[in-house]
Amino acid sequence: MSSVTGQVAYAGAPVAPKRANVFKRIFNHRNDYLYVLPALLVMLIVIAYPVYYTIELSFFKTPPNLQMKDKIFVGLDNYWAILKSDSFREVTINTAIWTVASTFFAFLLGLGAALSLHREFAGRGVMRAVLLIPYVVSAVAASYVWKWLYHSDFGVIGALAVQLGLSDKPINFLDNVHTVLPSLIVVNIWKEFSFAMIMLMAGLQTVPEQLLRAAQVDGANAWQRFWHVTFPHLKGVSMVTVLLLMVANFNSFIIPWIMTGGGPAGASDIWITQIYTIAFGRQRYGVASAYAVILFIVMMTLGYFYVKALTKGDESRAG
Amino acid sequence: MTSIPASIPAEAVRPTATRSIDWWRWGGRVFLVFLLIFTVLPMAWMLLTSIKTQFAALQYPPQWWPAEPTLQNYTRLLDPSGSIGKEFLLYFWNSFYVSLATTILGVAVAVPAAYAFSRFRFPGRTFLFFAVLLRNMFPAVVFLVPLFLLMRWLGLVNTHGSLILTYLTFGLPLSIWLLKGFFDNIPIQLEQAARIDGATRFQAFLLIVMPLSSPGIIATSIFSFIGAWNEYVYAYTFLSKQETMTLPVGIQRFFTEFATDWPGLMAATFMMSVPVVVLFLVLQKYFVRALTEGAVKH
Amino acid sequence: MAQVVLKDVVKNYGNVYAVNHVSLTVEDGEFVALVGPSGCGKTTTLNLVAGLIPMSGGDVVIGDRIVTDLDPKDRDIAMVFQNYALYPNKTVYRNLAFPLQMRKLPKDEIDKKVQAAAKVLDITHLLERKPRELSGGQQQRVALGRALVRDPRVFLMDEPLSNLDAKLRVQMRSEIKRFHQDLHATVIYVTHDQLEAVTMADKMAVMNGGFLQQYDSPANVFANPVNMFVASFVGSPAMSLIPLAAVTRGTEVALTSPEGWELPLSPANARKALNAKSPKVVLGARHSTVKLHKSQVPGSVPGKVYTVEPTGDITFAQVFVSSAILNISLAPSVQIRPDEPVFIEFDQDKMHLFDGETEMALKAD
Ligand SMILES: Nc1ncnc2c1ncn2[C@@H]1O[C@H](COP(=O)(O)OP(=O)(O)O)[C@@H](O)[C@H]1O
Ligand SMILES: [Mg+2]
Repeated sequence: MSSVTGQVAYAGAPVAPKRANVFKRIFNHRNDYLYVLPALLVMLIVIAYPVYYTIELSFFKTPPNLQMKDKIFVGLDNYWAILKSDSFREVTINTAIWTVASTFFAFLLGLGAALSLHREFAGRGVMRAVLLIPYVVSAVAASYVWKWLYHSDFGVIGALAVQLGLSDKPINFLDNVHTVLPSLIVVNIWKEFSFAMIMLMAGLQTVPEQLLRAAQVDGANAWQRFWHVTFPHLKGVSMVTVLLLMVANFNSFIIPWIMTGGGPAGASDIWITQIYTIAFGRQRYGVASAYAVILFIVMMTLGYFYVKALTKGDESRAG
Repeated sequence: MTSIPASIPAEAVRPTATRSIDWWRWGGRVFLVFLLIFTVLPMAWMLLTSIKTQFAALQYPPQWWPAEPTLQNYTRLLDPSGSIGKEFLLYFWNSFYVSLATTILGVAVAVPAAYAFSRFRFPGRTFLFFAVLLRNMFPAVVFLVPLFLLMRWLGLVNTHGSLILTYLTFGLPLSIWLLKGFFDNIPIQLEQAARIDGATRFQAFLLIVMPLSSPGIIATSIFSFIGAWNEYVYAYTFLSKQETMTLPVGIQRFFTEFATDWPGLMAATFMMSVPVVVLFLVLQKYFVRALTEGAVKH
Repeated sequence: MAQVVLKDVVKNYGNVYAVNHVSLTVEDGEFVALVGPSGCGKTTTLNLVAGLIPMSGGDVVIGDRIVTDLDPKDRDIAMVFQNYALYPNKTVYRNLAFPLQMRKLPKDEIDKKVQAAAKVLDITHLLERKPRELSGGQQQRVALGRALVRDPRVFLMDEPLSNLDAKLRVQMRSEIKRFHQDLHATVIYVTHDQLEAVTMADKMAVMNGGFLQQYDSPANVFANPVNMFVASFVGSPAMSLIPLAAVTRGTEVALTSPEGWELPLSPANARKALNAKSPKVVLGARHSTVKLHKSQVPGSVPGKVYTVEPTGDITFAQVFVSSAILNISLAPSVQIRPDEPVFIEFDQDKMHLFDGETEMALKAD
């Protein structure tokens, strides 16, 4: 059989059956959902339900014994209580300082480390591994170690300061409202700067070597090459890194909790530790939930940018 | 073969070299030394303290180097016949058990989900994917109250089940994201070839895709394990019975009971860090990949 | 071996129609090339035959079974992929054995068949290697071997040669052709290279934009392209297409250019030109059917040389004629220079006329 068709119709021309409706498409793909079901189920139990319940509780006055059937609806009272409380302003400022300073310095140290480690040299791999250890160990371990380093009488940092003539007696880092927050921030930076380093090192590998060569031939000096070639290529990674650091710092609980418990006099209290204290210290779950909802809203804003930065290009990779 | 003669013209001059010292390189080196000191010093002091006696540790000015190094802090922790050793080893085992269970279950749940996100285009795919990713945004503390109530309702308070279930969720988003990246990189033609060669869709996945994505599975496993091993907040809240406690929480008991035993605490801290650091050093390549995958490509 | 029938096959992704109502029959033992530019739906068509993606409409028949709802594994087909799709973690031996293992053949029989296929393809010495340790050509052979071990009813090949370098491609082309003749296999062979299709296939199916344009023997497609797309796609260098206008001068019909020259048509061509929906008529001419003159002869039209490309035994020239560029082949002895004014004479029996409106070939009746 030999046929001569000879249609000269190009794409999109005749006979276009209507796009099937959503339910039909869901039904057609019903087997696909089986794959994601276990993951969704776990996420639903451990996330969707708590989110819902937190929002609900934030409108109630709750009994300290966790008998939630006795809770009383109070509308927005919990929110007003938080926003009007004396500590809210101070804690918010602490949170902002903690988050921004930790992120800024961790990123800066990480960037410096990544640029210095980018060049091949003997011992580079070992160096990278050593620098990453603080990121891998538990924040609990880090907190205890640094608490010991900062110890008011026998701490090695205070002793070193005396030895070097910077101070005439051991320094009380953690029991001083002026030094406590910076001291904790140093611990946090110690713990996480290598995360920024490793992200940016990976980013540096995407900088095309040829472009750097071309810039060199064109007469650009080291700084110009960094500024005009390397840095633009790092933009995407930097965005994601900074966002992830922000989120992590915003949510970090262990270091302030273990090292100072928010003290002295609330000088190292941040939102998270405050929420924990309100909930499990004072048993005021409703207020704590309202606090958590406020935190949600801030996180969702950051989350929006996170997902945007992360999924750039994902849709184009459809297979 | 003929060779073409070449000669340097007589009038050519050779300019004197103008290469100057590479300040950037030297700056980088100095900076790295500084970072190295910053990183290593606390760890070194932890180790030094852990081999001191209690008496030697509490001195001012400090003994920069222990006068009489001792391993007694370690032997005490690892001695199953002593009360401290028994407790410590129990915490250690609990941590290990919880972390391992979390890791295995996490992979079992994440692999099919990641595969679906990579290969199928079902309605709601994008939404669900982002919803899963957003888990990273929520601090543990925020969920404590409702989760605590939920666990109580499920009868899981003071069991490891509560921890495993909770830990699953913070491993999952990253695992799914990471594994999806791996699956995206495995050409779909390999599966198609397998299906034409007579495999079912599931066989094609099991026999062809799974072996190829083992680096991704290893990477996510390390991450889940380390995350679970280091977790503190939920363990601190869900577990109040001593025999169920994991290391990060258990160590606190040491601290409060033996409030001034800094060498003992440093030794315990060191022991607690050993498994994750070893795991990290051995599988560094995968760990780094897990950390950076997704954020860096495109 | 078996025949393959595609009946009204449709595949759409939302509003994009990758395959649009394609129907064709591949006879038992026939070698059919599916050819068309990149993105025209060839791979999708092949995947539909293989059952790798669900169909939006239509039916596929292999042999005496309607396989539309069958899994790929139940269709008894073999496929060779463009990037070979060798299992990277398996040795060559295991790659070849995989289809047989999946069909639960006994071990000794698997070994016998793998060795036999390896021998035919001359890859016995490679059996213990991993795919990444092979050259492109060797990988290609292994991919072919994996299709051969199983003696399927139909072979599907998706641009199997396009990742090879030019020399290897010519060699493998004849090997695939040879093996088709030896096995009397039914083959559907996808390529974007019309030359491959013309040289290898019993029939070629030309696709564009998801539609089947023409399905016929290469000779017929070459001689009688049904529309301007097929005309310009098949043949190398491509058929030149010059948009002109038909005018009637008493009993004569001529084609006129915007520049003012006229080309009188033979009676047969005149009847064709009058069948056009509008005066717009496109003149098509293959490079070997036109003559180049340095001075005006009766029935020739003026042009200007654009480029001259000597290839050794033939010299190709591109000449501006009206608004189009015309490909001409010349004897190497002809001396012309770029920008030289020349005159072009068309062979009235071998010229093609197309309707400028519908782009379809014009017929005399
Ligand atoms: N999974 C898909 N989703 C959306 N469009 C697709 C998909 N696969 C193929 N297409 C579209 O279908 C058309 C035909 O593709 P294909 O069959 O691969 O072409 P080719 O002839 O080059 O093999 C292209 O326009 C392509 O963009
Ligand atoms: Mg294709």
